Amino acid sequence: MEFYNKPGEYDAINYIPPGESHGTKELWKTFWILLGITIFDFIIYFAMDPGGWRNFIFIFFGLVKAYFIVGAFMHMKYEKITLALIILVPVVFIFGLIAGLLYEGNAITWAKW
Amino acid sequence: MANHSQTPNAFENQTMWAGGRSPFNVSYGKLMMWIFLLSDAFTFSSLLVQYGAQRFSNVVSPVTTEWPDPASIFNHFPFMHGLHLPLLFVSVMTFILIASSVTMVLAVEAGHRKSKKEVVRYMVYTIIGGAAFLGCQAWEWVTFIHEGARLDSNTFGITAQGKEHLGKLSFGDHFEWMLGDRTNGPVPFAALFFIVTGFHGFHVFSGVVINVVVTIMAYKGVFEKRGHYEMIEKAGLYWHFVDLVWVFVFTFFYLI
Repeated sequence: MEFYNKPGEYDAINYIPPGESHGTKELWKTFWILLGITIFDFIIYFAMDPGGWRNFIFIFFGLVKAYFIVGAFMHMKYEKITLALIILVPVVFIFGLIAGLLYEGNAITWAKW
Repeated sequence: MANHSQTPNAFENQTMWAGGRSPFNVSYGKLMMWIFLLSDAFTFSSLLVQYGAQRFSNVVSPVTTEWPDPASIFNHFPFMHGLHLPLLFVSVMTFILIASSVTMVLAVEAGHRKSKKEVVRYMVYTIIGGAAFLGCQAWEWVTFIHEGARLDSNTFGITAQGKEHLGKLSFGDHFEWMLGDRTNGPVPFAALFFIVTGFHGFHVFSGVVINVVVTIMAYKGVFEKRGHYEMIEKAGLYWHFVDLVWVFVFTFFYLI
């Protein structure tokens, strides 16, 4: 395993920043939040009639789940802001694509008439 | 690379963006894993955007055949044959994946403390969770295909009679398709279900393989000798990404 850094040798490729443990408290908290949202989704699914508001709640809490998975589990909250930005900013453009194609898709429904 | 190596102090004192060190303060491997996950995020986004566009182009009943209602299709649960239990089985699958995500992150945390025994233990839990999820998905596919789902056709267009029949059902009722409940529906429905959940399942499968490999390496003491457990972190990033994708697959295929 020649490639990996040996103690006392530092360069950009082989550099491993010292990892530190933040303890398990936050991880378990995140687990309970994710589980709680999943159960909440399950309840809402039967408690509310299908429609725009129910879908809005599902998508909103899906994004909340994504925040906790990326932030806490994937450690993004503790990375440098530059890294977080180069990974997260391009994803924002997907929302524009979704909005555009759902609008056009809907227009196709009526064009089929 | 060895001829570029420096002492820790000289390395830390180098200017941030002048080259020769990581401006993001992560290792090369971890940065590349993030870049890969970004590209994978685009892959899954294009699949889900396609799903959304197809679904929105089949929304209104008199104009086109309506998009099938997931509650009337994914309502099976193992060993509870013939009961109307929408969403229950996928919720269990979601729970399994969240649980295996938390054991993964506990393995990463144990790696920071360089506790080999705990790393191996939590990794084994993670692998069991991943395998259980794959088993569930296989069952889901088999059931769906048994119900008549195919890549090139869709018999899940629910007729007015079927809608009335399904509307009367509540959770846990006896359920069976009746003649005239179903007709031909929008073709992309089943095809996209198989493509997207199949692609996700393939990612889960690769994740399990990666986890098995790094668990064996941890067990054999490779990371102990190397002095750090960063490989567990990289495998963990991939595993959490798979969980993240499932959040959206679950939302768009089952909830909405």
